[in-house]
Amino acid sequence: MLASFDTHTFWGALTSGPYWKGALLAIGLTGATMVAGVIIGFFLALGRSSRRRTVRNVVLFYNWLFRATPTLLQLIFVWDALPQLWPVFAGSWFTPFLAAWIALSLNEGAYMAEIIRAGLLSVDPGQELAGRTLGMTRRQILRRVVVPQAVRIVIPPAGNEFITVLKLTSLASVISVHELLTAANEDASVKFQFAEVYLAALIYYLVIVSILMVLQGRLERRFTWTSGRRRRVAAPAIPAVSHDAR
Amino acid sequence: MADVVLRAEELHKSYGELEVLKGVTFEVDRGQVKVIIGPSGSGKSTLLRCLAMLEPPDAGHVYLETEQLTALPEKALAPHRSEVGMVFQRFNLFQNMNALGNVMCGLVEVRKLGRKEARARALEFLARVGLADKAHQYPEELSGGQQQRVAIARALVMRPKAMLFDEPTSALDVELVREVLDVMESLAREGMTMVVVSHELRFAHHVASSVLMMDEGRIVEEAAPDEFFSAPREERTKRFLSLVE
Repeated sequence: MLASFDTHTFWGALTSGPYWKGALLAIGLTGATMVAGVIIGFFLALGRSSRRRTVRNVVLFYNWLFRATPTLLQLIFVWDALPQLWPVFAGSWFTPFLAAWIALSLNEGAYMAEIIRAGLLSVDPGQELAGRTLGMTRRQILRRVVVPQAVRIVIPPAGNEFITVLKLTSLASVISVHELLTAANEDASVKFQFAEVYLAALIYYLVIVSILMVLQGRLERRFTWTSGRRRRVAAPAIPAVSHDAR
Repeated sequence: MADVVLRAEELHKSYGELEVLKGVTFEVDRGQVKVIIGPSGSGKSTLLRCLAMLEPPDAGHVYLETEQLTALPEKALAPHRSEVGMVFQRFNLFQNMNALGNVMCGLVEVRKLGRKEARARALEFLARVGLADKAHQYPEELSGGQQQRVAIARALVMRPKAMLFDEPTSALDVELVREVLDVMESLAREGMTMVVVSHELRFAHHVASSVLMMDEGRIVEEAAPDEFFSAPREERTKRFLSLVE
């Protein structure tokens, strides 16, 4: 038997407004971060294979900068140090949510860049050749042929990133973004019933990640090209990026 | 003056230290079928890639009808590429599109046709290669022979002035070679201008207007098929034929 576990408090936490709002905020921040991260990562990935050396070096510098420093430090830097360096960021428009979004997106872009690059490189060069003989431009080939095929390769590791970013949003509690962990912390500081309160938060994360995994499975099937769309193709393994350091 | 469709003039091409083409002059007239044979590494594929404008030659010129393509910048070159059809050894069908999508792609993206019209025309060309019933199959659901026929339809639908085939049957299982050669033969009968790199000597014998032997970056010999196979002039050709047959 558990020494003390107040089921009532637990249910209360699980169904309370702040937790719901916190969870929605975490999902929103994660979604916004992934969208921006994928866009930044896509252009970084293209930049990595640019013909111009300067462009390649800028990309390498970016990836190094954001992967070699702790995400928590990046968050605090954007929130606290940017307004000091540039007064523009001192305005009231610069909310904690916005700061968290910017910091996490810049960070995520560096990780997505590697994943997207691997995806683009995995597409058979014969596909581009065939596009060129038809008279398609490089841009058309990228858009119609190469990117759709790279997506299939990118989805599984991008799904991992989604989960990682969701968990990283809890870091934003330190810059007073009212996400899920903040809600639990505030609850705990009032009730001192840690087990009930944090278990409720854990369950929220578990449920969100489970839903994500189901969606990922559907998305993978969507990008499997057979007329039946039934078969699941095992995606080629791409070494997962370790997030221990983040 | 003969009606020349494609002409290569003194083409040179090197990859690093390796000189692959050492001054190749070559032309194909309208309605002619030229078959190129030769050992691997002799420059056959590189010659085709230069003719298809996929690779710029280091020196020399490529003409499509009267236009000098080697003088054009990359941007102006893209639309011209669609005037020369190319079929690859490994088919290179777009994996993310079904057979119909593959054939429609050039019409929609390059020719800017409406989807409805592109679809109708694509279906017509799929029927021509005998694959109307496979329109909605994806490449990985088709046999090698079927994939290659889709690839031929994809090139043909652009109504090219010439078709280039780079070992179109080399990657196929033996029993699938025939269906692809049949399509190519009927194309030749319809008067399509073709350049074919292939070791299908029977095909060369029956269909070609002339057969060329390439070796070490040069064209060694060119002759009508009867003469080429029964009485080759060059020692190199004789040796190669004795190895292939």
